[in-house]
Amino acid sequence: MTGRTRVWTVAAVAAVVSPLIAAAADFPTPLPSEPLMQVQRLPARYPTGWAFLNYAGDRIELRDVGADSREVKAELQAHDSATLLVSDVRPEIYVADTVWSRGTRGERTDFITVYDKQTLNVKGEIVLPGGKRALITAMEGLMTFTGDQRFAVVFNFTPASSVAVVDLTERKVANEIDIPGCSLVYPTGARGFSTLCSSGTLLSIRLGEDGKVVGRKESRAFNPLDTDPLFTASATVGGVRYFPSLHGRVQPIDMRGDEVKVLPDWRLVGDADAAANWRPSGWQIVAGDDKKLLYVVMQPDAHEGTHKDPGTEVWVFDVASKTRVKRLRLARPGSSIALTHGEQPLLLVQAGERLDVYDPAGGALVRSMDLPGFHTRLQIEPMR
Amino acid sequence: MRDLDRLTERMLRGLASRTSRRSLVGTVGRLLAGAAALPLLPVARAAEQSAPDTDPNSGQTPGFSTGNPQDPGDPTKCDYWRYCAVDGSLCTCYGGTVNSCPPGTEMSPVTWIGTCRNPADQRNYIISYNDCCGGVPWGRCACQNNQGDRPVVRPQNNNEVTWCFGVQSQSYTCTVAVILGVALDQH
Repeated sequence: MTGRTRVWTVAAVAAVVSPLIAAAADFPTPLPSEPLMQVQRLPARYPTGWAFLNYAGDRIELRDVGADSREVKAELQAHDSATLLVSDVRPEIYVADTVWSRGTRGERTDFITVYDKQTLNVKGEIVLPGGKRALITAMEGLMTFTGDQRFAVVFNFTPASSVAVVDLTERKVANEIDIPGCSLVYPTGARGFSTLCSSGTLLSIRLGEDGKVVGRKESRAFNPLDTDPLFTASATVGGVRYFPSLHGRVQPIDMRGDEVKVLPDWRLVGDADAAANWRPSGWQIVAGDDKKLLYVVMQPDAHEGTHKDPGTEVWVFDVASKTRVKRLRLARPGSSIALTHGEQPLLLVQAGERLDVYDPAGGALVRSMDLPGFHTRLQIEPMR
Repeated sequence: MRDLDRLTERMLRGLASRTSRRSLVGTVGRLLAGAAALPLLPVARAAEQSAPDTDPNSGQTPGFSTGNPQDPGDPTKCDYWRYCAVDGSLCTCYGGTVNSCPPGTEMSPVTWIGTCRNPADQRNYIISYNDCCGGVPWGRCACQNNQGDRPVVRPQNNNEVTWCFGVQSQSYTCTVAVILGVALDQH
């Protein structure tokens, strides 16, 4: 090394080191060492700004839809048509799922995993015998609590229809009930469920303390499956469940009591909008604000085969006056919607690979989140 | 097969508990007659053009044609005419064909049917959407068309159901679209 090179080297080292010395002087105390082996816990009661997102039964994640960053709170295992129930009387979450012992082959096992709500550790498992659980894209009606959350009712399809009545406190299957010609399950009364039948009726079944059938009643036929069938997605407003139809009616059904009341239907679409072929469409097409407003994804120029396409607007109805009170134009066409349950609810809209969060009062897009790995349908379940 | 027996027994018991003997005989008779004459059934034809305007799989697979001008289009693409009511993955992207399953899978004999219009001969065909089961699903060539699809209250008209019944594994892989016959017009 020549004398000149040595001078340059010393200068270069000084140029690098002196700012480091200066930076260290700015922070005289080093960062503290940190404890190892930490695992996050969730709060005992999830905030109402949180929602579970079920990716068609393949993946389930918990998100804070009110946050602009670090919004993913947890993930739950899901394999095939998995569905979720979150208890508010026990600190537990239940996920019904199906696996095969060798990936996609081997012995089939249907089971409900019982998770601790705070740690998401597995507290237990209930095996559902017979390989009967319905393998259908995750949607409303594949599994429900009874009103008292004592039982979970799981829809089976083999393709014979039945339900498994699962005692969640004893963690065992209490009963299996055939429901020939009927599909999906909705909670009814204190301890029962209703199911939509291919004859256009609703069959309601009341359960006893042991999960056995103590009452069974079938409604009149009200669901015109040949001409204008009801979607199987529903929203609850003021305790009444509302089912939109493919052509734009809405059918209210009061399932609060053991005596189910099929209430008069009404039109979501006026004459002018019907002429423009506005119809409900999407996947989770309807949401309710718990008090008086019903939100429905709508699509113009609808025709045969477009009923599961995304809609461009969300229409808001006052269920008391049976009138539309607002039209929200979506930034991107959306398929699944839900409302959070807080004082100031947020409208969640799955639009392609985005979850758009709107202020339903003003209709402004508040934030947009990505949905990595999303490819088919999303079921959104906001926390109460 | 024993499962099939049990299933049949259950369905008939359920039917019997809800219908009179006369209507049961009539219903079974219609079913038997219907099974023999399935391709001739006057299935309501789709009112609209069968294919959507956009192709969700554009660019994923190289172009391909059946080579038959009467069966036009690319069976590896969602806008191929037979896929008017497919909701799933196309078997043509997994080593199968439009009417055969990929190696290593098993075709479910129980399925649902749709009706699609062939743009070449302008006939409506009854298409059987059999699922192939027990293979490796990974979401390639996902296709969602819903001509004639109806809510799952009538499962036989619903494409969200995994139609893997009567096979060893009920795990879904992909869907084929087999021509069963020409649909008769209702007019």
